[in-house]
Amino acid sequence: MAPPGVADAELIARVVVHDDRHAFAELVRRYQSPIRATLRRMTAGNHALADDLAQETFLLAYRNLKSFRHEARFPTWLHRIATNAFLADARKRKEELLGDRDGDVADEDDDADGASDGAGEGHERAASLKLDLERAMATLSEAERAAIIQCYHNDLTHEEAAYVLNCPVGTVKTHVLRAKQKLKLRLAAWNPEPDAAA
Amino acid sequence: MNTDPTINTPAPAANGDSDWLDAALAADGRSHREAYIDDSGFTARLTTALPAPATLPAWRKPALSALWAAAGLGVALALPTAATDVARELFRLAAHPVSLLEIVAAIAVLGAISWGGAAYVLRQD
Repeated sequence: MAPPGVADAELIARVVVHDDRHAFAELVRRYQSPIRATLRRMTAGNHALADDLAQETFLLAYRNLKSFRHEARFPTWLHRIATNAFLADARKRKEELLGDRDGDVADEDDDADGASDGAGEGHERAASLKLDLERAMATLSEAERAAIIQCYHNDLTHEEAAYVLNCPVGTVKTHVLRAKQKLKLRLAAWNPEPDAAA
Repeated sequence: MNTDPTINTPAPAANGDSDWLDAALAADGRSHREAYIDDSGFTARLTTALPAPATLPAWRKPALSALWAAAGLGVALALPTAATDVARELFRLAAHPVSLLEIVAAIAVLGAISWGGAAYVLRQD
């Protein structure tokens, strides 16, 4: 079994050259958490779907490992595969998702109002904001949500996010800008200076 | 991914009224990166789902050998003069008289190579 200290590049080489499944299992163990966490965000908290997509991501990575040219770091490459899997799945489920989203938006508006009325300062307020933010994120388009997640949650630069999202840097910036405008509207109740935003 | 929040994070919006949203997104991002999802059998399930290792059928090696032999025979038959020339040269070299000096020189060279190789293999860095 591959020890945890072995570099990614060496594990990848073992998989490519010797079809070393233990080495691949070590890579999966290393990156399952960030990939699954990102997919959970992208799927707006649908853990079962996120884990299915994560499994698909790692299986695709295994099949295509020979084509990995180290032009990006291995986890960034994995995020790219995961994002593609999510967007492809979202396209397939578009009709179904759009139907569900109408209900979610209505619920979320109610929740946002409630949070702004009842939440106090400190920890409780932060937890409420986090919850509202998650719900507001669910109302974004898949591309906008993916851009926000890559830039803020995975802490990627716009260039890295463009690689992961397989689109130009300008498109990433546009998605982030539009997403933030939508989030600002959805979370207007949380704005400490509502007059400045007006 | 960058662990230093001051580097490579997207620039906050120019207008100050988005600062609170940037701060909220940054805080949410930090908690996202710090959270660890337990494996809980994910890796084990995935490794069982990996495609079966590619194994060559038992007949492949003898079939390939037969094909190479047939190809070699075909080339030999296609170039009969070349084959006979090569065979004649091999016989001529084998029949070439070798002097005692050449035998000694060959033994010396082989011995030097053997000793050198052994010394290299048994060296202690």
